[in-house]
Amino acid sequence: MKKILISGFITGCILFVCSYGGLYLAVRFFPALFTEYNNPLFNSNGNRDLLFYLHAFIFSFALAWFWDRFKSLFKGPFLLKGIEFGLVYSIVALLPVMWISFSALDVTIAMVLSWFGYGLMQAMVAGIILAKINP
Amino acid sequence: MWYKPILWISLLLLWPPERTRWVIAENSSLSVNGSTNINKFSCEIPSYDQTDTLTVSRRNKEIALTGNVGLKIITFDCHNSMMTRDLRKTLKESQFPRLYIRFLSLSEMPQLRPEPQQVTGWVNIELAGASKRLEINYQVSMDDQKVIHLLGSRNINFSDFNLVPPRKLGGMIKTNDQLTVAFHLRMSAVN
Repeated sequence: MKKILISGFITGCILFVCSYGGLYLAVRFFPALFTEYNNPLFNSNGNRDLLFYLHAFIFSFALAWFWDRFKSLFKGPFLLKGIEFGLVYSIVALLPVMWISFSALDVTIAMVLSWFGYGLMQAMVAGIILAKINP
Repeated sequence: MWYKPILWISLLLLWPPERTRWVIAENSSLSVNGSTNINKFSCEIPSYDQTDTLTVSRRNKEIALTGNVGLKIITFDCHNSMMTRDLRKTLKESQFPRLYIRFLSLSEMPQLRPEPQQVTGWVNIELAGASKRLEINYQVSMDDQKVIHLLGSRNINFSDFNLVPPRKLGGMIKTNDQLTVAFHLRMSAVN
């Protein structure tokens, strides 16, 4: 349990920097991709900002447990194991969520694809870190 | 001294205030321009659904412009359905469905010529349950069809009306507080 928590926390810290740093740079250099977020579907009064920024840690703790439980199934060097882990997570969890999001919410296909790509990258980074620190 | 009030009343009866009434036409419009850290937006109310009247009256050196314009927030169109809904939500359309411009005064009597005349005036803007008195820069003119054009513009802030500019993705996308409100009233004079 301690190993899961520690690896989850370390992964969370790294993901926090990568995810929000990446998002900040994307908003700054590719602003056109984000114009569709001016939509009442997205929280606009800032009362959930803390929850938004905690996402990296929620995601990392969940993946740390998932990794610890199923790491024996992944073979090869840590880089390959991490990437495969990210792909497995994306297909098992992310794809169905994106599917239902697109079908139920008033969002564009481009937006949903960007969420899928973002989640996939996060899962691969988390997988690589977890494979390295909790082999 | 007893005769002074009678003298004043007689003067008022003999020289009533100069008064003109202007009926606002349906093709009057209002636009709101603003920006976020990623784009600019322009939202319009392309037409006015009421036949309200503005009254311009002069008494001595004071020019009063009285009358109200009540615009439905739901008629705002930002040329992007998501942005339109976002603006309506920000302006609390469900609670306060109309934006009111209450005209108060003009700096000088409009000459109503084809050449635009620059005048200033005070208005009260009521938005989302808050009210603010503002000075507006106007351009007044009258075209060949005797249509009076009153163009007004003014920078306002969301915060002037206790509104919070929208922010998305944890504040990574932020709407700037300042907005430019511009309106174009097309009117005809009536007696």
